[in-house]
Amino acid sequence: MGFTKESAVERAKQDLAGRLKISESDITEGDVSNVEFPDMSLGAPASGEMSAQMISTGWRINLNAKGKDYEYRADKYQLRLKGADGSNHVIVS
Amino acid sequence: MNRSNIWVRIMVVGILIVTAAVLGQIRRWQAKPVPNIEVVQTGTQKPKTVTRNVQDAEPEVLVRFRPGVKLADIKKIAARNNDRVEDKFEYIKGWVAIDDLDGADMEAVAQQYEAMTNLVEYVDINSIIRLEEPVPVATTRDLVHRERDSNIPNDPEFGEQWALSNMGQNGGKTGADLSALKAWSKTKGSREVVVAVLDTGVDYMHADLAANMWKRPDNVPQYIDEELGTFNDLRGYDANVNESDPMDENGHGTHCSGIVGAEGNNNLGVAGINWKVEIMPLKFLGRGGFGSTKDAIEAINYAIDRKQKGVNLRVISASWGSTQNSKALEDAIRAAGEQGILFVAAAGNSSTDNDKRPHYPSNYDLPNVISVAALDRTDSLASFSNFGVKTVHVAAPGREIVSTWLNDQFREASGTSMATPYVSGVAALILAAEPDMSVEKLRERIIKSVDKVDSLNGKILSGGRLNAAKALGN
Repeated sequence: MGFTKESAVERAKQDLAGRLKISESDITEGDVSNVEFPDMSLGAPASGEMSAQMISTGWRINLNAKGKDYEYRADKYQLRLKGADGSNHVIVS
Repeated sequence: MNRSNIWVRIMVVGILIVTAAVLGQIRRWQAKPVPNIEVVQTGTQKPKTVTRNVQDAEPEVLVRFRPGVKLADIKKIAARNNDRVEDKFEYIKGWVAIDDLDGADMEAVAQQYEAMTNLVEYVDINSIIRLEEPVPVATTRDLVHRERDSNIPNDPEFGEQWALSNMGQNGGKTGADLSALKAWSKTKGSREVVVAVLDTGVDYMHADLAANMWKRPDNVPQYIDEELGTFNDLRGYDANVNESDPMDENGHGTHCSGIVGAEGNNNLGVAGINWKVEIMPLKFLGRGGFGSTKDAIEAINYAIDRKQKGVNLRVISASWGSTQNSKALEDAIRAAGEQGILFVAAAGNSSTDNDKRPHYPSNYDLPNVISVAALDRTDSLASFSNFGVKTVHVAAPGREIVSTWLNDQFREASGTSMATPYVSGVAALILAAEPDMSVEKLRERIIKSVDKVDSLNGKILSGGRLNAAKALGN
């Protein structure tokens, strides 16, 4: 599958709703911006992961739920959750 | 040589210079000047006012004078023809850029210098540095002029490849390049040298890569992994899904491969730092450009196996990494080194100091590892590039690098990913010239032959930019 900015945001909301066991309507969408990431893990490598060191474009998706901020990162191939519980997670690849 | 011979030679040279200048001026009188900017020319003649068009602000022709013709004489010839020597190329002996000051078209200027057959070897119209208008594939200039200089490839995007020949295009710094033209006078590479691009795979069908792709020779047996089975590895290996087809689905590995060895002088796309080489695709990064450490090790294991089975695999190019250490990966790379394989690794793109925040595999302190930072076209450390005076060894061009992409395309990309294959490619060039060089000497040669660059002083170990010509002893 290939993400667009809009479909990546929708998928991020679905993921967060599932994690927190809340409705998507309880999630507030913050800034969604076009970003250059330092590598192809979008600057958020998961454990044991190596990534191509090429500057790559994608989207930073900021969401808020239950008073807490969550940062997702996406490009056309993948969606990641950065820094949740101290680690990065690959949601879709 | 006796005294009378010296005077005869001096007279002959003088007559040739005057004749050439007169011939050129006769041709030039046919050109119609377009008044625009006034330039006051000074020299041996009386100062005079000449005119030039803004669009002609670039030098019109590149002229290679014969050995023995001094720069002072070249300047005299130019002045008498109402031209000036715009630049003398430090890496291309004998070449100067001639800037016409009276509005003649390029062809007329070229013909003028071509007429000086006793003084001039080659004349090339300066279209290749007019980057706003990339050189078409089959111009008259290509056919008439370029073929005569075997070191300037006819690949139409060559003018965009500042890493190979930086003539100041797009705001670059003249000479801030790998001295590729000079290196190519010694070797343009060899199909006897195999470079493994350990990456997202390679589009081995790409028209600018196909001729330089490795294919398993008949005398090398199929790859057998005791756990995974037998693979008919005709074109390399995919450790990401454990199959024999390493086709690239991302583009990154194809880009890196073009930097190492897009076929040179084939009238298509770009030139690799090697015009000829064998590129072995080793795939472990998936479609998204990321993969597991384990798959990287699996692919390195494959490379070692192929080396032991007789493939002359001498370099692994690794344009990837992370901050996560893996002893297993380190041991795999060490094992590759014990087989005579150089491992060239990207320093990373976090703008951080690898001495303080290690990046792997580039930080492994092994005798076969070279860590590579990225430079931009002005010889500055790229803003994204990691550095480290103890742990990053050399720098190479890594910003706005045009190379091959999926489906016969070409595109620009930036990263230490792009700098890394330049180092791998230069390693392959050295091995083309000196096939028996040990991996330790190869690494030492690359690190010690850099051009010192101010912006790298105190930033990386060598303090310099990769120089292919010096690495070849040129």
